Amino acid sequence: MKVQKQFNNLDVVIKYGFLMVIMGTLLGCENIPSHDPYRNYKSIEKALLSKLMLAKDSTVIQLEKGHFIFKSSLILDNKKNITLRGRGMDKTVLSFKIQENGAEGLKITNSENIILEDFTIEDAVGDNIKVTDTKGITFRRIKSAWTGEISKKNGAYALYPVICENVLIEACEVLGASDAGIYVGQSKNVIIRNNKVYWNVAGIESENSENVSIYNNQAYNNTGGILVFDLPGLTRYGRKIKVYDNEVYDNNFFNFAPPGNIVGAVPSGTGIMVLATREVEITNNKLENNKTIEVAAVSYALIDAMNDQKSQENRNPGSSTQIFEERAKMDLEYDPYPGAIYIHDNTYGEVSWLPNLSNDFGKLFLWKFGFDRPQIIWDGMVPENYLLSNGTLNPDYKICIQEVGVKTAILDVANDFEGLVIDPASFNCET
Amino acid sequence: MVNACKPKNEASNIVFEEEILKKVDNGHLGHKNLSDYGFFTGFLVDLVPAQNVHPYELNTPLFSDYAQKKRFIYLPESSFIEYHPTEVFDFPVGTVLIKNFYYDDVQLINQKGRIIETRLLIKKASEWLALPYIWNNEQTDAILEITGGVQEISLLDKKPIHYQIPNMGQCKGCHQRSGTLQPIGPTARQLNRNNLNDGEDSINQLRRLSRLGLLNISEKEVFPKLSVWNDPKTGSLDERARAYLEMNCAHCHRKEGPAKNSGLYLMSSSNSRHALGIMKAPVAAGSGSGQLAYDIIPGQPEASILLYRMNSTEPAVMMPELGRKMIHKEGIALIRSWITSLE
Repeated sequence: MKVQKQFNNLDVVIKYGFLMVIMGTLLGCENIPSHDPYRNYKSIEKALLSKLMLAKDSTVIQLEKGHFIFKSSLILDNKKNITLRGRGMDKTVLSFKIQENGAEGLKITNSENIILEDFTIEDAVGDNIKVTDTKGITFRRIKSAWTGEISKKNGAYALYPVICENVLIEACEVLGASDAGIYVGQSKNVIIRNNKVYWNVAGIESENSENVSIYNNQAYNNTGGILVFDLPGLTRYGRKIKVYDNEVYDNNFFNFAPPGNIVGAVPSGTGIMVLATREVEITNNKLENNKTIEVAAVSYALIDAMNDQKSQENRNPGSSTQIFEERAKMDLEYDPYPGAIYIHDNTYGEVSWLPNLSNDFGKLFLWKFGFDRPQIIWDGMVPENYLLSNGTLNPDYKICIQEVGVKTAILDVANDFEGLVIDPASFNCET
Repeated sequence: MVNACKPKNEASNIVFEEEILKKVDNGHLGHKNLSDYGFFTGFLVDLVPAQNVHPYELNTPLFSDYAQKKRFIYLPESSFIEYHPTEVFDFPVGTVLIKNFYYDDVQLINQKGRIIETRLLIKKASEWLALPYIWNNEQTDAILEITGGVQEISLLDKKPIHYQIPNMGQCKGCHQRSGTLQPIGPTARQLNRNNLNDGEDSINQLRRLSRLGLLNISEKEVFPKLSVWNDPKTGSLDERARAYLEMNCAHCHRKEGPAKNSGLYLMSSSNSRHALGIMKAPVAAGSGSGQLAYDIIPGQPEASILLYRMNSTEPAVMMPELGRKMIHKEGIALIRSWITSLE
């Protein structure tokens, strides 16, 4: 593993980035959008809180039309077969604009078969809806948002099932999350379909989750459209992810994640990004006008080092290399590389003349490729255990790309881009 | 840059109406009044324990906005506690843990000392039930209020706060292990001390319970002990800091706790540097990261997310998430020294 060298060239990327700052500044003011629905609040806090706490299993809790405001998180714990139903998106609104207690808006824990449908939830200080340790959770026609100008002060996740099984998220509308709009973490058997996500840092993110299908969604105007991530030191790892039939376009929103969060390293202008995950298929998506990269497969070392650089300037916590190695030691099971990735039969729009220059990747692409940059890249980092004894990549870990008329590249960031290859034959798995 | 580009929108108007449903049905979960249980004799406010009710103290308690706590355990007649060396003891069905939160005359500005709330943990057949009782202004009784409450509290030398009495759901937010409601405090390591209120004839709490036939343990048993966080005689800086983190954080931040998804485990038995937060990147901290990259950077407390979150009262940032409206200055000082001392 050439960890030592990986970071030298990353420095090059970043130094080069500083030279380009002037260009970034010339792009001028970004037009920050704002979400300002009409609201006229009432309080039903105690009534709803006790209804949720005392709910008998197998009941429907019907929320009426109205804009309801809460000071504390709503909690549903240890329940079975409960439906929490509103009278429709924007008709029933649960607002946490004046939240004083707890970080989540609605928090669901240790439950089975919970259905949330037909309401809007907004302005929790942390996550709008967080669900943990639950088997069977459905989000259907939920609008989850932060009002006002899109800001890094917005909460992190709009819909956030974590450590759950059998998750269905459908026909939801999600905006304003300063981390991920739809974020499924450390879960198993997940369907995310027919949703609309925009003005988030990550539109949809699957993290350390297994058996995930992400299809028929529209992800646009986010920093990154759809992310498939695997991080170390958590309760499970991700695999078997299928991303298909989605429309992923115009994801050029500035990255407004609070620094220190891993999505803070996602370059504005990213369509689909796979980070350190195996068994990922990306097919039949419509990718268009994601101005840094349409599809990227990258290693944890790369994104982590990018993130370090952003949040840790002048703090000198030791070199990135040391940290990465220390971390790798701490989670021996963790595999920080993408592999067994199959990208095929997607459609791509025209490549814009200039890449998105708000991030190091965009600058790098302009520097390395001029005005004819690739739509799909792999960072090219390969650990020794991915190689066969003859030095070639074990087919089990291959990155296969079968696309027509699309420019691809292996960046070889580990070797100062020395081995950079455009349209490599090795991506072709159909011989 | 964000602000320079566009003036910030004014917030929409907030028009409050009265609570639509004022009356909350408590669902017959417990007695309406604290006095109905008969835990105390004489005036309730004096908290003089009745028969089968025993006071206890902890080595390192949870910080709760500088509130003082009087703790009691009620054990049903002829029942006893099953000892465990590392975990919370196994209590007989019918046990009630009674925790009273109060401020004394010295703490409160222009007010006499008073009891704010009493929290009960009641051992049912398989699970525990948590019930919050709020004391009335007259200090004659406390009334069950499952949705919790808020009280204005002004402490000497502190900014006034909206003291939060947790609702039933919030109780379980902390009192939870592997998904079920559990007590946190009564472990051998926490109870292994003398009760200061006993004065002259003070003896070890565990020995006393054992001699009363209430704790199933041999006289020869050597009890483990948790350091007292603010008493250097009881442990090294490392031991006291870890004791503090265990009691204030590890009810969630342990493998069986509700914050297991973070991968940050703060039990003092936790021995992986990464799981303790050392050079560990946050997983889902959001704005709680404070623009910092790692939970703990050895030697750099101000660059460590752990300290940043303890040092905040913003709901999105602060840790623990619930149960405090103030910063615990003395706790922060301890953890700051500890992080400074780490290599």
